[in-house]
Amino acid sequence: MRKVAIVAGGATRCGKREASWRELVQEAGKNLFESVDNISPKDIEALLVGAAQPERFTFQVHVAPMAAEYLGITPTKVLATTELMCASGQAAIRYAWACVASGMADMAVAFGVEKMFMKDMAEAQTNMTCVLDREWDGINGLSAPPFFAMTAQRHMLEYGTTKEQMALVSVKNHHYSTMNPIAQFQKEVAVEKVLSSPMVAPPLNLFDCSGITDGAAGVILVPAEEAKKYTDTPLYLLGSGQASIGNVVNNLASITEWVPLRLAVEETLRTAKITIDDIDIAELHDCFTISEIMEYEAFGWCAKGKGGAFIEEGESHIGGRVAVNPRGGLLGCGHPLGATAVLQAIDVMQQFRGEVPKGRLVKDADIAVTQNLSGAANVHSIIAYSRNPT
Amino acid sequence: MRKTKFQKIDGTEEIKLPQMLDFYPLEDEENTRISLFFKNLGEGRLTTTRCKSCERLLWPPRIICPECLSDELDWVDLGSEGELYAFTEMRLGAPLGFVEDVPFCIGMVKIGGLLISARIDDAKYEDLNIGDKVRLKIVELKDGRVFYRFAPSE
Repeated sequence: MRKVAIVAGGATRCGKREASWRELVQEAGKNLFESVDNISPKDIEALLVGAAQPERFTFQVHVAPMAAEYLGITPTKVLATTELMCASGQAAIRYAWACVASGMADMAVAFGVEKMFMKDMAEAQTNMTCVLDREWDGINGLSAPPFFAMTAQRHMLEYGTTKEQMALVSVKNHHYSTMNPIAQFQKEVAVEKVLSSPMVAPPLNLFDCSGITDGAAGVILVPAEEAKKYTDTPLYLLGSGQASIGNVVNNLASITEWVPLRLAVEETLRTAKITIDDIDIAELHDCFTISEIMEYEAFGWCAKGKGGAFIEEGESHIGGRVAVNPRGGLLGCGHPLGATAVLQAIDVMQQFRGEVPKGRLVKDADIAVTQNLSGAANVHSIIAYSRNPT
Repeated sequence: MRKTKFQKIDGTEEIKLPQMLDFYPLEDEENTRISLFFKNLGEGRLTTTRCKSCERLLWPPRIICPECLSDELDWVDLGSEGELYAFTEMRLGAPLGFVEDVPFCIGMVKIGGLLISARIDDAKYEDLNIGDKVRLKIVELKDGRVFYRFAPSE
């Protein structure tokens, strides 16, 4: 298998955009191809489009060829949409990586896009309620906020995690997103503001939850040995892990411990040949504040149940044990489902290139991970990236 | 030069909630092979399948055991009283079909060796506690379809 690197990335501004799905694709495509001198859309042999619910949000299926058309790409080797709900973009990167590594294609684009704002937001919520098994969980109103609310309730009961500790995750990530020009939310929030924001599903307030977001992003993957032809600072793909256990509530490994995440972490460390202490930047899936706390624990940066104390002690800030979500996270940047993992990858590349504002720059960072969960946190996907070739 | 013609046309008629936005499953024999689950519910019994071969209790009800691939499954009763493992209340962000119900409680209920999600009726969030006993309740839609919920035990 060949080593693979990302050599370019481009994205849209994220948020409630006055733009259609098709226009988000075009904006991100222009930014992607204008960011690299000697690659044109016609050079791309493989296109993987991470899109979670285009058929629901924009009433359109068969979106991969449509995206290709708008991007000016005429794929000659591989073309498909990848759907894994909140991890759809990471699925696109993983498959594009596999295509280039195997030799199936020499140049691939992993793209991600979601248009989530609809005229009737109850319809958008309907879409989000068929993510869990619709006939057995969704039917009970179990969309993401109630599920993660109950996860938080159990974590608070079993480990003494507090609302204030959860709020600190939101405070941190919103702080970093004030320095991210494409983030959906660019205002600081204080603990009191998180705690006094409207209750979505107790114990989760509005600022415990990531937003509904429109956005798109793409990256270009080539064999690592070719990467320097296109940029002085490629982003090298180092390793990855993914695991899934069960789907309906009854068949999850545990509510308060994400076993599949632990498995995905182990596989990532094994394939990347690193330890958790090598990780300088972790772009984690903070769809809810409780998620990031449980992710500290599953990665092993703190003991099980001590995730609340970990944020309280500043260990997940830049300068702490590991810099978690210096991009601003999903809480600060928004969560355009299919685009999120691609946005994470681009920000890691900009970190390594030193192109992000000083206030959120992780100095001398060499290794980063990006992680996405999907569904009832039954699926976890991770990619490890390196500044240096291996 | 001819003038461009303008004409008003009838677009989409007023749309009823289409089948694919209906959260409730199709329950009859024509549409599912676990129609007995819903028939039992109609009689006030919450049931599921157990594999005759490997004896695993399967939820949701299956037609084939995913552990040993046997299609010899028994229907077993889960009882009618459960215990609240976790709960919350939908206050913002309800989907179509549930908007009118807001706020409503949702829980995870331990019952008959399973942990299942369910609506918790006849209770406010503030009234509930983890560990509370909850009782099976059957709701019936206008078209006769049934589904299970729970409510605090008396």
